[in-house]
Amino acid sequence: MKNEYDVIIVGGGITGAGTARDCAMRGLRVLLIERHDIAAGATGRNHGLLHSGARYAVTDPESASECIRENQILRNIASHCVDQTEGLFITLPEDDLNYQATFVDSCRNAGIQAEIIDPKEALRLEPSVNPDIIGAVKVPDGSVDPFRLCAANMLDAKLHGAQVLLYTEVTEFIKDGNTIKGVRTYNTQTKRKGAYYASVVVNASGIWGHHVAEMAGVHIGMFPAKGSLLIFAHRVNDVVINRCRKPANADILVPGDTVCIIGTTSDRIPFEACDDLHVEPDEVNLLIEEGAKLAPSLANTRILRAFAGVRPLVSADNDPTGRSISRGTVCLDHEVRDGVGGFVSITGGKLTTYRLMAEEATDLVCRKLHIDKTCETAVTPLPGSEGKSFREVAERIWENPTTIQKATVGRLGSGAARMKDNSVLEQSLICECEEVSVGEINSAIERLDVSSLTDLRRRTRVGMGTCQGELCACRAAGLLVKAHDCVEREREDIRDFMTERWKGMYPIGWGDALREAEYTQWVYKHVLGV
Amino acid sequence: MKLQEYTASAHNFEECMKCTICTAYCPVVPVNPRYPGPKQAGPDAERLRLKDPYFFNQALKYCLNCKRCEVVCPSGVKVADIIQSARIRYDHTPPKLRDRILANTDFMGKLARPFAPIVNGVTGMNLTKTVLDATLAIDRHRTFPKYSGQSFEGWLKRHAKEQAKYERQVAYFHGCYVNYNNPQLGKDLVKVMNAIGIGVQLLEKEKCCGVALISNGMSKQATKNAEHNIAALRKAVDKGLTVLATSSTCTFTMRDEYPELLKVDNSAVRDSLLLATRYIYQLLASGKATLDFRPDYHARIAYHTPCHLEKLGWGIFSYELLKMIPGVEFTLLDSSCCGIAGTYGFKKENYEASQAIGKPLFDQIRSVNPDVVACDCETCKWQIEMSTGYPVKHPISILAEAIR
Amino acid sequence: MKFDTIIIGGGLAGLTAGISLQQAGIHTAIISSGQNALHFFSGIFESSETCRERLIRLFSTAGIRVQDIPGYHLMPMGTFREAGLSLEDVASFPEKKIAERALIVNFMGFHDFFSSFLAEGLEKEGTACRIRFIRLPEMEHLRQSPSEMRSVNIARVLDECWEKAVADIRVLHKDEDLIILPQVFGLKDASVPEKIASALPAHVVFVGTMPPSVPGIRTQMKLKRRFEVLGGTFLMGDEVTSAALHEGVVSSVTTRNLDSVRLFADHFILASGGYFSKGLVATPNRIVEPLFGLDVFQASDRNQWYRTDFFQDQPYMDFGVRTDTSLHALKDGVPMKNLYAIGSVLGNTRKDDFGTAAGLAVSTAFAVADAIKESQKEQLP
Repeated sequence: MKNEYDVIIVGGGITGAGTARDCAMRGLRVLLIERHDIAAGATGRNHGLLHSGARYAVTDPESASECIRENQILRNIASHCVDQTEGLFITLPEDDLNYQATFVDSCRNAGIQAEIIDPKEALRLEPSVNPDIIGAVKVPDGSVDPFRLCAANMLDAKLHGAQVLLYTEVTEFIKDGNTIKGVRTYNTQTKRKGAYYASVVVNASGIWGHHVAEMAGVHIGMFPAKGSLLIFAHRVNDVVINRCRKPANADILVPGDTVCIIGTTSDRIPFEACDDLHVEPDEVNLLIEEGAKLAPSLANTRILRAFAGVRPLVSADNDPTGRSISRGTVCLDHEVRDGVGGFVSITGGKLTTYRLMAEEATDLVCRKLHIDKTCETAVTPLPGSEGKSFREVAERIWENPTTIQKATVGRLGSGAARMKDNSVLEQSLICECEEVSVGEINSAIERLDVSSLTDLRRRTRVGMGTCQGELCACRAAGLLVKAHDCVEREREDIRDFMTERWKGMYPIGWGDALREAEYTQWVYKHVLGV
Repeated sequence: MKLQEYTASAHNFEECMKCTICTAYCPVVPVNPRYPGPKQAGPDAERLRLKDPYFFNQALKYCLNCKRCEVVCPSGVKVADIIQSARIRYDHTPPKLRDRILANTDFMGKLARPFAPIVNGVTGMNLTKTVLDATLAIDRHRTFPKYSGQSFEGWLKRHAKEQAKYERQVAYFHGCYVNYNNPQLGKDLVKVMNAIGIGVQLLEKEKCCGVALISNGMSKQATKNAEHNIAALRKAVDKGLTVLATSSTCTFTMRDEYPELLKVDNSAVRDSLLLATRYIYQLLASGKATLDFRPDYHARIAYHTPCHLEKLGWGIFSYELLKMIPGVEFTLLDSSCCGIAGTYGFKKENYEASQAIGKPLFDQIRSVNPDVVACDCETCKWQIEMSTGYPVKHPISILAEAIR
Repeated sequence: MKFDTIIIGGGLAGLTAGISLQQAGIHTAIISSGQNALHFFSGIFESSETCRERLIRLFSTAGIRVQDIPGYHLMPMGTFREAGLSLEDVASFPEKKIAERALIVNFMGFHDFFSSFLAEGLEKEGTACRIRFIRLPEMEHLRQSPSEMRSVNIARVLDECWEKAVADIRVLHKDEDLIILPQVFGLKDASVPEKIASALPAHVVFVGTMPPSVPGIRTQMKLKRRFEVLGGTFLMGDEVTSAALHEGVVSSVTTRNLDSVRLFADHFILASGGYFSKGLVATPNRIVEPLFGLDVFQASDRNQWYRTDFFQDQPYMDFGVRTDTSLHALKDGVPMKNLYAIGSVLGNTRKDDFGTAAGLAVSTAFAVADAIKESQKEQLP
C-alpha cells in the first residue's frame, strides 16, 4: 500500500528524532511527522544542559543514574554537540552548607563523580563564580546544543531510510476498531492533506502529546509547566554553575556555544498558552537577581533575549510547581493501558536522556512488530561526531583553518568536510556574529529541510548572535529566494523572523538590547523599506 | 531592580551594535584582504575567543593599532584595544629577529649612536638596503632614521645648570627618537620653554615607552619598560613637576596603552603627563605666558593629525598653537593614517599596504602644496617625507623657528 | 577653551546647527562621540515642510544636492514610499510603474543589495526586470576577507575604476529603458554617479544597500568639511563627561579627552541622538538623559514601551527630552536658559511641530540656530 510504514513517529523534537533514528537503525520503515520544525518545542527551549544527574541525585536517584549513564554515552556518540565543560554546585552564604554532604552522598550512590573542592579552587576553575561561596562540588555536567543534536539525529534517521515530513499536522487518527492504523495529515505550507499508514504510531510530541493522545481516544493527563530563561550575549562562564540546594528557580547557568543561559522559572500554565509563550517582567527580574548570585557579572552583562519553554510533565499529583514530579521517562503502551492498539506514547524525561527514551520506545515498537534487533544508538556516533576534538577535526579538514572554518566545524563537526572545497564566493559571510558562510547556509538548505529563516537559524545559528538578525536576515533571505524561487514568501518570512527575534528582545528591552532594537527597526523600516 | 542599570562595565565589546562604521574607517581593510577588519577581529571574534581560544587568528597582527576604529565608533567600543589585548593574551609565537631589531628602538639607538657617521652611511647605502631587504625583510625603500652623534640626554645634562636657574621647571620625556635621531627637536623644546621662563630637566632615567614592543608581540618587555617609566614619572610628579613629551605616540602609549593593554597602573602620573603643545597652548591661551614672535616669519603650513594624537583628541592644541603664530597660513589636513604605523611600514611584507594607506593623505598634501607639513609624530614624518618629498616639522620646532 | 556655542553630537542635527551658526559668524565647537546615524541615512528627509528651501540651500553650500520631486521613492527591498525631500542619490519616480523594462545590475557575491526583492517589487507594478551580475578583477581582493564585501569597501574600489563597471554594464544592457545599480558609487567624488548615468545608454538610478550608506557617509564628510571650512571646531571621538550647571544655566562642559581643559560657551545644544547614540539611555526601569539629567517624556511601566509587532511604530521611539516651545530643554520642569535639545534626543515628542527623523533633526537645528543668532544679536551693543 502507498504511504505505508512500520512506524509513524509524531513529533520532531529530540525524542521523536532519537526514536526515528533508533527505529531506522533497527531496519524499520519510518515516517516522522512534525507540525512545525525540528526542535521547535521544549527541545530547543531549555538550558542545553548535559545533566550529570547531580541535580536529581537527592530528590530522584533513578533519574540521576539514568542521566550520568546517558551523559557518558552522549560525550562519545554526539561529541560535536557536546561541550565537556564540567559543572559546579556552589553553596552561597545564604544556603545550608549541611546539604552539601547529603548531596555528595546521593551523587556517589547514583554513580556520579562528585568532588568537594575548596571555594578558592572553584574560583580558579571558573573565575566568574560568586566569590562569596562557602562551598563547591565539582560534577561532570556539560552542555549540549539541542538544535544540533536534534538535527544530527534527524539526519542519521534519514540516512538510514527514514522519511521526515515537517510543517505537517496530524489531524486525525485512522482507526480500525480500537486499533490505530495510521494518521491523516495537513501540511500547513502546501495546504495539502495526506494519509499515512503504519503498524505502530509513536506519540513523541512533548506537551502537545496530551492532545495527540486525546485524538487517539486516550487520556495521558499531562500538565504544562512553563520555564523562562535568559540568554546572555557572551560566555560568561565556561563551567556549568548550579546551586547546591533543593532545585529551585534560576539556579543553573549553562555556557553554550557563544552564549550562556540562566534559568529557569516554573509556573503551571493552561494548555491554550503553550503555543504562544511570553516572558513576563517579574520572571525576567527574578532570573537576573538569582543569576547574579551565581555569577555576579551577570548584573552588568548584556542580555540577548528571553525565552520560555514548556516541560512535558506527566502529573502524578497536584503539585502546582511541577518540581516534586519525577523527570523520569514515561513510556506507555496504550494497548495494555487503554486498550487502544498500535499506539505508544513516550514522554517525560529530559534532553540528556532522550536516547534512552528513544531506546525504550523503540524496544516497545519492536516487541509489537515482533522484531528482535538490538539497539546500537549508544555506540554509533551521530553524523558529524566521528572526530575527537573540534580542533583535531578542523585541522584534519584544513591545514590552516580560518575563523569561519573553525566556526563551521564547531557546528557541524566532521560534517564540515563538506565545506572543504568551498569557493571564495561560498566563503563569504552571511551571519557575522556567529560566522556562518554562504556555503554552510546553502548546504543546510540543500540537506536539512530548511523552509524559512527560523528553520535556518535552528540549523546554523544564523541570527542567534549579538545583532539578532539585523545584518544577516535579508542576506540569508536572498539565498532562500535563490533556493525556493519565491520572493513573496521570503518577504513574509523576513517579517516573521524579525518579529520572532523581537519577541525575545522586548522582555529585556533596555540598555544595549534596546539600542540594537532601535538600530534594527530603523534599518528595516526606514532604510530598507521592508 | 538595581541590577542591569549599566551594562558597560567589564564587557565593553558587547556594546558593539554591529553597525559596521569601524570597517568604513579602518585604513587596513581596503589594502590588506588578509586582515579580517576591525569589527570581525575585535568584538565579533572576542565572543568566539571566549568560547574557545582556538578562535584566535594570527591575522590580527595586521591591525595597525591606529585606533581610528575607536575614534569613529558611536558605541564607545575599544575595538583596537580588544584586538591588541587578544594578541597579548593568545599569541605566543616568538617574534622574528627582524621584529626584535625594529622594536628595540632604544637599544638600537644606544648601539648605533657612537658610530653615527658610519651607521648612517651604511644604512643609507643601497647595498645595505638590499641586504636588509633580503635577509631581514626590512623594505629596501625605507631608510633608517639617521642617528645623531650626540644624544639629547648628553646635551641636556651638559646644560642642566643653566636650566636649573629657571624658577619654574618641567620634566621632559624625550623618547628614543629625540635622544638618538633628532636631538634638535629636544633643543627646540628647551628654547621655547626657556622663552616662556620655564627650565627643562630630564627624568631620572627613562626607557623606551614600548609602543614598538607591544606591536611586535613583546608585551612582557613592554610591561617592564612601562613599570620603569611609571616609577620614573612618579619621582618627577612627586616633586611637583609636570612631565612634557613631544612625541604623540609616546604620550598616548604611556597614558592609555599602559593601563588598557599592559595593565600597568598609571593613575598617579597620568594627569601630569602632557604633550608639550597642549601645555604651551594653555599657557598662551590663558595669557599666563607670551612668546615674542619674529615679525618676518612666514610659512604655509599644513597640519597632519597622527593617529594616536587623533585618539588622544589633542590635535586641537597643536594646530591652535600653530595658528597663533603670525605669518602662518594654516590648512588642517583631513585626518587619516599615513600608513607607517611605527615599525609596521618598515617590514617588507607591509610596504605596499603602507604606501596605499597613506595615498589619500599624500595626494592631499600635494594638492595643498604647503611650505612645510607639521606633525607631532616622528614616524609619520619619515613616511610623509619619503612619500611626498615635502619637509615635515614638529609644531615645537616650527614654534622655535618663529620666535626670536 | 571658549566658544560661542557648543554642540554635543555631530550627526545631521548637530552639523546642520553648526553650519548655520558658523555661517552667522558664531564660533561653534561640535563634540562628537564617534560617527553617527548619517552612516545609515536612507537619504530621505521626512516632512519638514517649513524649512525645505533653507535645507536645500545649506546642503548645496556644502556640495550636497537635495531634490524635491513629487511621486515615489524606490526602497532597497523593492517597496515604494511617498516621495519628499531627499538626497539626489535616492531613486525617485512620478509613478510606481517606473519603466517598461529595467536591468538590475549587482556585483557578484555582494549580499547587501537585494536585487531579487527589487525585481519582484517592480514587476508587481508593471516593470519587467532582468537581473545580472558583474565581477571586476579590481574587487577580487576584497572578497578574500569574507566579511568585507561591504557597500563602503566596494565604493572605495569603484571610486578608482567605475569606468570598468560601466563598460561591463554596457555589454549586459539590451533594450531596457532603465538601469538600476546599488548605491556604491561616489564615496569621495560625488560626481561619479552622474558620470555613470551619462555614460550609459538608458536612464540610471541607484538604490540603497544595507548600511553603511555610501551617500550617507559622503553627506557626513561634506557637512563636516563645510563646518570646518567655516571655522568650526569638530572634536571627533570625544565625549562630554560632565557639565557645570547653575540656576538653569550651563557654563561649561568637561570631556573625556580634554579632561582638565574645560570648554566654555554661551549656548549649548544637545544633539546627542536617541538610544543608539546614547543620547537616551534605557535602564530596566526608566529612560534617562545621561549628560544633564533632563526631563524625559516616557511611559513609566516598561510593558508600555513596546509593541509585539516588530514592524509597528514602537512607543519607546516617541520618548525623548522634554522642551519648551522654543526647544529649551526642561530640567525638573523648568526650561534651561542656554541649553537646547534638537534631533533624535527629542524622540518624536515634537513630531507634530517639526516632523520625524531626518526632518526633525534639520528643522529643530534651524529653529535653535535662529534662536541663538537672535540672542547673540541682542547682546551686541
